[in-house]
Amino acid sequence: MTDLYLAPLWISLRTVITATFVTFFIGIAAARWMARYSGRLKSVIDGLFILPMVLPPTVVGYGLLLLFGRNGPLGQVLLNFGTTIVFSWWATVISAVVMAFPLMYITARGAFEQVEPNIQDAARTLGASEWRVFWTVTLPLAWPGVAAGTVLALARSLGEFGATLMLAGNIPGRTATIPVAIYFAIQAGDKSQAMVLVGIVLVISFAALAAIAYWKGRTPRSRGFLIT
Amino acid sequence: MIKAVIKRSLPGFDLNVDFSVNRELLAVLGPSGSGKTMTLQCIAGLTKPDEGRIELNGKVLYDSEAGINLPPQKRKVGFVFQNYALFPHMTVTENVAYSIRHLPITEVNQKVERLMNIMNVIPLAARYPRQLSAGQQQRVAIARALAPDPEVLLLDEPFSALDSQLKERLELELLALQTEYHGSMILVTHDLAEGYKLGSQIAIYQAGRIAQCDTRQKVFASPVNRTVARLTGVRNLMDGMVTRLDGPFAWISIVAWEVPLKACLSPDSGLVPGQKVTVGIRPEYVDLKQAEGENVLPSRILQAVEGISSVTYRFHVQSDQQAKHYINATISKSNAVCLEDGQICLLHFPPENLIVIPASNG
Repeated sequence: MTDLYLAPLWISLRTVITATFVTFFIGIAAARWMARYSGRLKSVIDGLFILPMVLPPTVVGYGLLLLFGRNGPLGQVLLNFGTTIVFSWWATVISAVVMAFPLMYITARGAFEQVEPNIQDAARTLGASEWRVFWTVTLPLAWPGVAAGTVLALARSLGEFGATLMLAGNIPGRTATIPVAIYFAIQAGDKSQAMVLVGIVLVISFAALAAIAYWKGRTPRSRGFLIT
Repeated sequence: MIKAVIKRSLPGFDLNVDFSVNRELLAVLGPSGSGKTMTLQCIAGLTKPDEGRIELNGKVLYDSEAGINLPPQKRKVGFVFQNYALFPHMTVTENVAYSIRHLPITEVNQKVERLMNIMNVIPLAARYPRQLSAGQQQRVAIARALAPDPEVLLLDEPFSALDSQLKERLELELLALQTEYHGSMILVTHDLAEGYKLGSQIAIYQAGRIAQCDTRQKVFASPVNRTVARLTGVRNLMDGMVTRLDGPFAWISIVAWEVPLKACLSPDSGLVPGQKVTVGIRPEYVDLKQAEGENVLPSRILQAVEGISSVTYRFHVQSDQQAKHYINATISKSNAVCLEDGQICLLHFPPENLIVIPASNG
């Protein structure tokens, strides 16, 4: 019983860590690409990236279900490899990544665009490759924003409910994350399990907020090159 | 040696320049928005020209016809930005060493120390840019730009944010640097005095074109047209006509003036009698005479602006006709004893200081 009681916590932790890790990299890659891309499709691509944030999560979940379902294009591909991700643990990760990605993307992109172009150009004229410019100049200077985006993405994946329920369902011990488990615990009248899980979520959320405040407070004027 | 032909069109602006610089300092002078900074960015590879060719010591950096466009990393062009653009998260030493990190550590240390010594920033080694004054940041920016041994050093209005004392000191340092650094330098500035002090060659920019590019003596002594004359500080410009030539002198009648002006001509001026010209003189060269004579004109003081060591007067030239002519004269205080508004003075225009520009040159 205790096992099943705390199972949602372990599932959620694994999901959140994996999803944040994945979101961090694809969010940064997309943000950096879009911060430099100036083609005709810029606003279209930008809209697509942000879409999961403005759509109801259940709609996104349904979309993912169509994509990964047995008849969906990606579902077919996976089926050829003899597997399916619908109603599996990976479904919770995919839902969390898709829902958290826009937050990471928007925040990181804003942070990259805030880095003064002259400073990056200076690095280029000093012979630094684009890769080196990014790792030694752009990313360090955009770090407060990137870190904040990561924390936001982490919080969003922790709270993910709608899309997860659609794609991963509620299989206790396998796909039932904390938010999903809370919902079904209350449905089933199991108030004590709901309270425990609510308490855990509160602790994690407060820690995340504190982390943002810490990062924001620690780098007040990292761009102090402006003449006073 | 850098040779550049750059064409770039933007909405409402057109850059079209052609110049070359030897191992010397070219000062690019011109009003804001005349394309000076864009020229530097094109040379550094930070902006792509639409057309043209840029060559640095025999290496082609950009050629629109051959489809060559080297990235900034491969150009060996040092760039000192207007706001210095130091890396705010690195110390002075790290900033200077940024471009040479791939070298052996002893070599890096030697080089960084030598450059920091030249630019007088050794005591600041461990500081971050936000802990430096503007002048200190400037020095670090130059040291950083020199570290990878660039073949040309581009300076984009490097002194515009500095107070005048600091500016003078850094100008001296830049002059001294020319003995240490043997590449070409291009300095963009909108400060006439600065350009003259530092540049052995001067290019005058006007609305995306080079109006004149020559040695500084030539540009300042014989501007090719009214625009260049005005941009190089010739504030008095009068329209006239050559009436008589006599050896090295020309007599020029100025519209609405009673007395003709006598001017010294350069041997290759090619002027002929009857030719329309513009005559110019710098305010500093106009002086006062006690008695009537050649090139002397009575004028009434309209306004006086007092400077530290001189006074600049605005004179209204006295003439019978309706046309109003004004002359600006900057007169050293030691000569400007008790001139009052409304007083009539005798202005003298020394023939050797008159600049004669053929009117066909605009």
